Amino acid sequence: MLFNSLTFIVFFVVILGLHYLPIAWRIKKTNLLIASYLFYAAWSPPFVILLWISTFVDWHVANKIYLQKTQSKRRLLLFISIAVNLGMLGYFKYGEFLMQNFQILMSNFGIDYQAPDWNIILPVGISFYTFQTMAYSLDVYLKRAKPTDSFLDFSLFVTFFPQLVAGPIVRPTQLIPQFKIPRVASKSQLTWGLGLITLGLFNKIVVADGLLSQAAETAFEATKILHPMDAWLGTLAFSGQIFCDFAGYTTTAIGIALCLGFSLPDNFRFPYASIGFSDFWRRWHISLSSWLRDYLYIPLGGNRKGPLRIYANLMTTMLLGGLWHGAAWTFVVWGGLHGLYLAIERILVSRLRHQQIWSRWLPRLFLGILTYFLINITWVFFRAADFSTAIRMLDAMLTFDFSGEKVLPMIDVIIVTAVISLMLLIHCFMRNRQLHDIVKAIPGWFVGLIWGLALWFIIITQGESNAFIYFQF
Amino acid sequence: MKAEKIYQRPVPNVKFSGLIAVIVVIVLMVAWEMYVRSQDVTPSYRNSNGLWAEQRRKINKGAGDGWVFTGSSRVLFNLQLDAWQALDNRRPLQLALEGTSPVSVLEGLAEDADFTGSVIVGVAPGLFFSGFEYRKGALKQHKNETPSQWLGQRISMWFEPYFAFYTYDYALSTILHRQDLPLREGVGHRLDVRKLANMGRDRNYRLWDKVYLDEEYNALAKQIWAQNWKPFAEQPEARQEGILKGRAKQLDRAIKAAKAIKDKGANVVFVQMPYEGHYAVSEPDIAPRDLTWDILINESGALGLHFLDHKQMQGYELPEWSHMTGEEADRFTQNFYHLVQSELARHKQVGEQP
Repeated sequence: MLFNSLTFIVFFVVILGLHYLPIAWRIKKTNLLIASYLFYAAWSPPFVILLWISTFVDWHVANKIYLQKTQSKRRLLLFISIAVNLGMLGYFKYGEFLMQNFQILMSNFGIDYQAPDWNIILPVGISFYTFQTMAYSLDVYLKRAKPTDSFLDFSLFVTFFPQLVAGPIVRPTQLIPQFKIPRVASKSQLTWGLGLITLGLFNKIVVADGLLSQAAETAFEATKILHPMDAWLGTLAFSGQIFCDFAGYTTTAIGIALCLGFSLPDNFRFPYASIGFSDFWRRWHISLSSWLRDYLYIPLGGNRKGPLRIYANLMTTMLLGGLWHGAAWTFVVWGGLHGLYLAIERILVSRLRHQQIWSRWLPRLFLGILTYFLINITWVFFRAADFSTAIRMLDAMLTFDFSGEKVLPMIDVIIVTAVISLMLLIHCFMRNRQLHDIVKAIPGWFVGLIWGLALWFIIITQGESNAFIYFQF
Repeated sequence: MKAEKIYQRPVPNVKFSGLIAVIVVIVLMVAWEMYVRSQDVTPSYRNSNGLWAEQRRKINKGAGDGWVFTGSSRVLFNLQLDAWQALDNRRPLQLALEGTSPVSVLEGLAEDADFTGSVIVGVAPGLFFSGFEYRKGALKQHKNETPSQWLGQRISMWFEPYFAFYTYDYALSTILHRQDLPLREGVGHRLDVRKLANMGRDRNYRLWDKVYLDEEYNALAKQIWAQNWKPFAEQPEARQEGILKGRAKQLDRAIKAAKAIKDKGANVVFVQMPYEGHYAVSEPDIAPRDLTWDILINESGALGLHFLDHKQMQGYELPEWSHMTGEEADRFTQNFYHLVQSELARHKQVGEQP
């Protein structure tokens, strides 16, 4: 079920109504669990079985790991959890990719191997919930947390519908304790939750789908070498689209959870105002970057095993992070570029950080612009359907050959320029601020006016219930 | 689970702001609805993929032995369900999709064991023989509709007959993209097709009054149909080759599908609806009759009704060259119904002769 659909509005009203009934907390949690399964089944009912497998396996494995004293047996149990979760992920998400690459590899050895047709539908959000549930077994294995004693709480943690299919990827220690105590949102939480839902849907329906998607699509799906301006505008449009789409989803998810009385962590903090790439990854998809840091980078050795290992660990983490997004080499290159940026930044910071110049505003502005520029280079690989498209786009963006073809109509030039400029200004202004602080500081009538306008724009945009981009991951 | 430190989201008090927001959105929506209605728009069902999928499913729910209309916009506008039902005592299914070749729909009917009735297939030459499918999302939704999409369609239809603004032509992005701005050098401006009709609950489609009453709007509609047209001979060679290959492929698909339908005892009637003006030049240019229509009819063995061959299909007013007004479409449907019945009977007799 998509947040930006009429079905969800009805679903949410019913769930809210049930949640505010004077009934036992256990029954309310059961309602939420059933609602979460219905939410997922609304795409494809059979795939609920995958959620049940993840829930069943990780519940039993984590309990056994906790009770087991022998390290080798604990390791074996953890392996079972990882094998089941990554096995499902691998089969549904990477099966076709692996078969195709195997076919290419074989043909290099002169073996004519034909990969079978892989007509497997990707279960929505599988990368998100497998990571979330794996974190539970990993936390218990790493002795960072004890297992919960409630199967209901654990099941709800795995499937909690606001963040089930596109995050934020919540840690067990952040969410399971919230299920222990009866929760109903206060009036303030409910209204702020509705405000966040409006903001999230505005980002998705109006900005990402209504204003920016068309320009990005036109540029990336053109078959000729583009004029540099069109290539840049298409890429900038995608930078705005992917942010508003994904941040829009998680802001909506946070708002929905808040309406039910639960607090989910932030997943974005105005990332296009980042100065450098470690700053970017502290602001972009925070729940994934911190997951990769805690469950991959640090277990690989993190910063503890000498400079070479640090760079190898960084690169491994980012390459796998790229592959997490999609089963294609373009995503691996996207991750690899980020790994490279982080490595170069690390070298430069260790050499230049003591120079006073970097604390002045102009050099910081330059670094911010440079960061955004380099991030846009990575978005080309993220958005392009294949390497030839990516190279065609980069060729137009970086060689400044003005004989390329113009494809964007004037209206898209105006929209992209205006929306991206405004977005960057907002990100810069909000870089060190929090939304709730700003809302507190400005007059209530003005907030209401903006809120009402946002709602109006959502309604008149008449979104087509387009899926969120991150659902495919 | 050990609770380390449960995160509690900071919450500003926005109750008053929420109240203001509700007032603002109500005022703006009332104003917007009034504005849209002032443009002569009246509420109507949306021509959505979900509605098409709903009608298509009726074939599997008992309506498979009746009449089915498919084709592109000409069938959608010109064949009126009420007028047909008055003569046939049974309501046909309207499965035509504007801007879309019906060949895939025809193939779907051929494969569907529940379809045993009769199908009228509109052949708009430029579309039919190109295979272009502007509305392929409708077929996709019929095939893969999720429970959420199914329910969303039902909910949407609660509102559609009451709100004029709830029409694709007045969506924000559509409005922005039709603004008359200076053109960028080398970038053509392709105007999107404007609102042309109102749709009923079961996809009965009637031309919007404004299209023939408002001269400016009528001229705009014609301008849109004729935009960017280039005769076949002036197309680049590669494009010409593509058109010819596409034509052969679509002919092959359509002939196979029609034969498969006929093999299971069902009727297939191909029809070329009347056209004039720009289309009188462009349609024969892109798909000459002897190289397309005649082959289709001869090789499929299906009944073919071309408006140039039958007086009953001539003499109708076509405000923007191919779509009839509601009243004209009623008159056309009545005449066409009788023509189909008589021609079908004659066609069967001829087919049965040794």
